[in-house]
Amino acid sequence: MNSLLIRFFLAFWLTIALTIGAASAVGYYYSERAHAAIERFEVSDAMYEASAALRSNGRKGLTEWLDALPRVTGSVIYVVDERGRDLLGRRVPPSISAALRRFGGRRGSSQRDPGNLRLARPFTELVDTDGRIYHFFVVPPQGPIGSWFANRGLPSLAILAFVTSAAVSWLLAGTISRPVRRLRESATAIAEGKLDTRVAKGVAKRRDEIGLLARDFDRMASELQRSSHRQTELTRNVSHELRSPLARLRVALELARRKTGELPELEKIDAETEKLDALIGQILEFSKLDADDHEQAAQINVVDLVHQIVDDVRFEFGDKVELNYTCQADKDIVISGFEGALRSSVENVIRNAARHGQSGGRVDIDVSLERDEVTIDVRDDGGGVDAQELEHLFEPFYRTTPNRPELARSGSGLGLAIAQRAVALHGGTISARNEDGGLRVRIRVPTT
Amino acid sequence: MPHDDITMDADILIIDDDKELGDMLREFLAPDHFRVTAQTSGEAGLAAMRESKFDLLILDIMLPGISGIDVLKEVRKDSDMPIIMLTARGDDVDRILGLEFGADDYLAKPFNPRELLARIKAILRRAGAGPEAKDHVQMGSVEMDMRSRKVTAAGHPVRLTGTEFELLRCLASAPGDVVSREHLSREALGRGLLPYDRSIDTHISNVRRKLERAGVTTPTIQNQRGIGYRLLVEE
Repeated sequence: MNSLLIRFFLAFWLTIALTIGAASAVGYYYSERAHAAIERFEVSDAMYEASAALRSNGRKGLTEWLDALPRVTGSVIYVVDERGRDLLGRRVPPSISAALRRFGGRRGSSQRDPGNLRLARPFTELVDTDGRIYHFFVVPPQGPIGSWFANRGLPSLAILAFVTSAAVSWLLAGTISRPVRRLRESATAIAEGKLDTRVAKGVAKRRDEIGLLARDFDRMASELQRSSHRQTELTRNVSHELRSPLARLRVALELARRKTGELPELEKIDAETEKLDALIGQILEFSKLDADDHEQAAQINVVDLVHQIVDDVRFEFGDKVELNYTCQADKDIVISGFEGALRSSVENVIRNAARHGQSGGRVDIDVSLERDEVTIDVRDDGGGVDAQELEHLFEPFYRTTPNRPELARSGSGLGLAIAQRAVALHGGTISARNEDGGLRVRIRVPTT
Repeated sequence: MPHDDITMDADILIIDDDKELGDMLREFLAPDHFRVTAQTSGEAGLAAMRESKFDLLILDIMLPGISGIDVLKEVRKDSDMPIIMLTARGDDVDRILGLEFGADDYLAKPFNPRELLARIKAILRRAGAGPEAKDHVQMGSVEMDMRSRKVTAAGHPVRLTGTEFELLRCLASAPGDVVSREHLSREALGRGLLPYDRSIDTHISNVRRKLERAGVTTPTIQNQRGIGYRLLVEE
């Protein structure tokens, strides 16, 4: 996740470091030229004066001359004796001391003629009448920062450049990678169904492209939220509008029963009304799962849940089916998920098995936990389905060719499709295969 | 059910925006001596309740204007009258919210009117049940006053709905024993258990939560998987 930060940081840093390097090189080149020019100028004037002062009044004369020197140009002239001390007792800049140490011993065979002025390189020398040598330095004008650096030398400059460029690069890289990370967090939250997520205010207020992206992102999120809300509204309205006439129908039916007594036709109307109601319920449930319009995630105890459902199905089917429940896990299996959805998926699979099994047959339900995956196995003895039909089993409204005709129109054709959607919502899988003269449906859901 | 033949006459208020349904229900319930007043909005329903007294409220959760849940909250402020709510089938959120805010039972629309009749009778029977033998029960820090139907935890009142009180009473009558969901349903809702009906569990978790919120550590309500619930009182 940090790779963007690191990449930007390194790119910025490299760029800044190269720029500093290049600027220093150019700066050094120009400062050298300026140095030379100033020196030439000083040589032509000041040095001959100094030489004259030394010749006439010796060290004392030179000191007086130096002391009286007007400081117009801003350049500072140091005259340093052989022991490296300035004649006026000023502190000698470290750069001069260093130069003296390096080149001071190279006088060699030079003539020590009194009053001699040697415009020698690397620095000018003045020779007193007694043969002592004074070094003449001109320090070009410097601002406070320049003198600060001059006093501390190149290594500290390098360290300072290193640290500041790193800090600046880090900040710069941060201004790009931080909002991107914020955007990513928001996108993840939206993917998890928290549609009211918006990018943090700070990012959306930016005037640059990232700010634009953030505002577009927020607009997209609002649109998603609105459309999800519309879908929920529509579902609720459809539910309400379809069910109101059904509710009236059922009451009217009872009133009719009272007047005419029980008729087979009335019973048929009653049964069909109930089927229609169940179908509407399943369609709505399916569309809710499809639209991700689901409940809040919660901790679900899978063992409890399956147990409850087995009890419920047992209650519904009574003696018609024997339900056999086993649990291989010796402790509770708790997963984070959507209880209503998970419940209806397991319920649909078990009821489907109970309905399709032999009359007086049995359904085996087995829950087991393997590392980080819970498996719910439901096996019936209803003869299974044709091999080529297996893969279509979980499609909405898919109907198998039943081996028992009375099953032809039972069920809505949505039960297993609902189960599949609900299991997928939990990141799990559902599969079916023929086994021992029956159908085995296996639900696997990761526990993490 | 042994008492089914007994006729009770009662005033029932129906709040449902479907006027026709209300009228038909009035006709349907009339032979059982239930006098039905039908109102089509929450506002009108609340106004009707201010004017006269009703023995039972049938409340549609999906109402135009103020919602059924809001009506429920308003009614529960000062009344523990029996309330049966009507929800959309499959809408668990409404059902759980409704039970949480004090509805006694619920029916999913479209319901079988005979089922509604049975529920009305069951709930009225339970509400009209005679006084308890004991009028005072103390368990841990929880105290139940059977006559005024009030519960206090360490002296502080815990607001339970009629159904929740019945459930706690039923569990408290046999502390430590597992009480089946079927039995709890008969005692608290006046009816048997239905398949895929989790209202007992919702009511129990409401009681549990209200006690926990009041700081009660004992007694606790334990779930016995596949059997029922029991009240555990630790000394």
